[in-house]
Amino acid sequence: MKLTSLLLTLLLISSSAYAELSIETNKELDKELSKEENKPSIIALAPHIVEMLYDVGAGEQIIGTTAFADYPEQAKKIPRIGNYIRLQLERVIELQPDLIIAWKNGNPSDDLARLEQLGFNVIYSHPLIFSDIAKEVRHFAKLTGHSEQGERVAKKFELELAKIIMTYQDKTVITGFYELWSRPLTTVAKGSWPQQFFNICKVKNPFAKVITPYPQISIEQVLPAAVQVIIQPLSVNQKEREGFNWQDWPMIPAVANKQIIQPDADAMHRMTVRSLTALKDLCAAIDKTRTILQQKHN
Amino acid sequence: MNKVTTTLWGLLVLVILSAMAAITFGPADIDSAELITCLVSNCQNPIANVIIWQIRIPRVLVALVAGMGLAIAGAILQNTTRNPLADPYLFGIVSGAGLGATIANITLADNLTIALPLAAFLGALFAVIIVVFIAKVLQRMEQLLLAGVAVSFMLASITQFILYFGEPFATNRVIFWLMGSLARVEMSNFYVIASVLIVAIVTVFALHRQIDALLLGDESAASLGVDVDKLRLLMLGICAALTATIVAYCGGIGFVGLMIPHIVRQLVGVTTLKLIIGSALIGAIFLIWVDVIARSSLPHAEIPIGIITSALGSIFFLFIMYRSRAIN
Repeated sequence: MKLTSLLLTLLLISSSAYAELSIETNKELDKELSKEENKPSIIALAPHIVEMLYDVGAGEQIIGTTAFADYPEQAKKIPRIGNYIRLQLERVIELQPDLIIAWKNGNPSDDLARLEQLGFNVIYSHPLIFSDIAKEVRHFAKLTGHSEQGERVAKKFELELAKIIMTYQDKTVITGFYELWSRPLTTVAKGSWPQQFFNICKVKNPFAKVITPYPQISIEQVLPAAVQVIIQPLSVNQKEREGFNWQDWPMIPAVANKQIIQPDADAMHRMTVRSLTALKDLCAAIDKTRTILQQKHN
Repeated sequence: MNKVTTTLWGLLVLVILSAMAAITFGPADIDSAELITCLVSNCQNPIANVIIWQIRIPRVLVALVAGMGLAIAGAILQNTTRNPLADPYLFGIVSGAGLGATIANITLADNLTIALPLAAFLGALFAVIIVVFIAKVLQRMEQLLLAGVAVSFMLASITQFILYFGEPFATNRVIFWLMGSLARVEMSNFYVIASVLIVAIVTVFALHRQIDALLLGDESAASLGVDVDKLRLLMLGICAALTATIVAYCGGIGFVGLMIPHIVRQLVGVTTLKLIIGSALIGAIFLIWVDVIARSSLPHAEIPIGIITSALGSIFFLFIMYRSRAIN
């Protein structure tokens, strides 16, 4: 049961179509060129790292990545060297990257330890909150020789984040439910990435204090919470993803008032600059719900 | 040379050929001329040198000894308990290793390279100690297997409970670790497994007549002067140490211990000495080729080895059962 929810967490966070391999890339030539310009060749081991590198202008230096790295469009052409379960060490050695950027939680730690042991330069991405994104953007930009662009992107991100926080900080708190997965019904609690969206958009999560960050719950626990808005992120790339059928429960205020928001799961769950757009859109949608509820109340 | 001896020599040749052939498979593109140069003299290409000597050769060697070890452990347990379903995993070894791995993942996530195999090994031994303790309390050593199944479920539930409340990604790490892989092995792992394997083989060879006496029944064995409970306990201890060592480095590799001895019995008979030698050789061949499939069949990823052993093993096992039914 837990496996399902955690697989989904990983898949949702970094999901989408499995990109086709494009071996045609002239790896050797790319490597030589990037070294000449003092720009290291990189293996980026998670979709969010690939996205960040493209954001700072280091996308062309990526010579290998893992499954599900599908954004931006050019990322689909990067050769794949494994997935979040296992890396193909032989392929990594063959590619001889100057730098490996790994995801602390999402990559096999034994493979990474082996790569470090073999002398590869491995650095880690470990974003836990929005502000970490700006920090990592700066860090990766510096490491890849794009400090200026990195600073620009990070600064813009921080300013926009501050603006969103300020916009919603005095709004009336409404109660919301976050549907991370439908079978089994899984939500989020404190310590999870999506909980930040609720905090900033001023939504009270009735399950925030549950001890595990991604608790499985039953509809019986949702009913008494009288949730006013339901967030049901869906991934466009997961065709089989089926949301919980809330229409069966019209006694829930959010269902009765048709306040079910379905944002793009990829943008929300991937710890990149893009998540700020998702935050902005979600807060705006929640604010609309707030207005509707106030109008009904009046 | 009789038929059995010829078969065993043939299998030995197959083991050597399989190990040599397995080195040629892998996701990196290394041509055969380069491979031979790297194996017999100085490697011109440093990348190929690292891939061959630090990745492929340790993998093939660990596959060889792990396959031998798991198959031998199954054969010993099946003969000493006279139960065709006996398998080292039925004694809670994998569940214990899983619990150890889970605790390591939750509490020592930054030092997993050392902590994980150590915790898995201790967890596996812990499981066996509980099983033996229960069987001793019940004063019925023949109920070891049932006690093992109960302990297995108990430890698995503790693992699941810890994972449910733990760091979300730890579940993924543990689940996939339990599916087994030889991707993480290095030469030092080979030396450790090989040492335990040699101790196990030497002990079993020394006691093979007593183990054969057990095949006649506990009373007959006792009348021949065999201390049945002591022998059974010693064999369980050896199998536990062997399997725990393999699981600690390779994760869960199911079905090898259960299936291989059954295949070997059809080829060389039931007596311990032949069964152990045959199981070691076929176990080695089986795991070497399963690992080749694991690392070469998908273009961009590896398949956890436990998935393949269980899939291939179950089909092959059913085929053998069907064939023996047809012969009977």
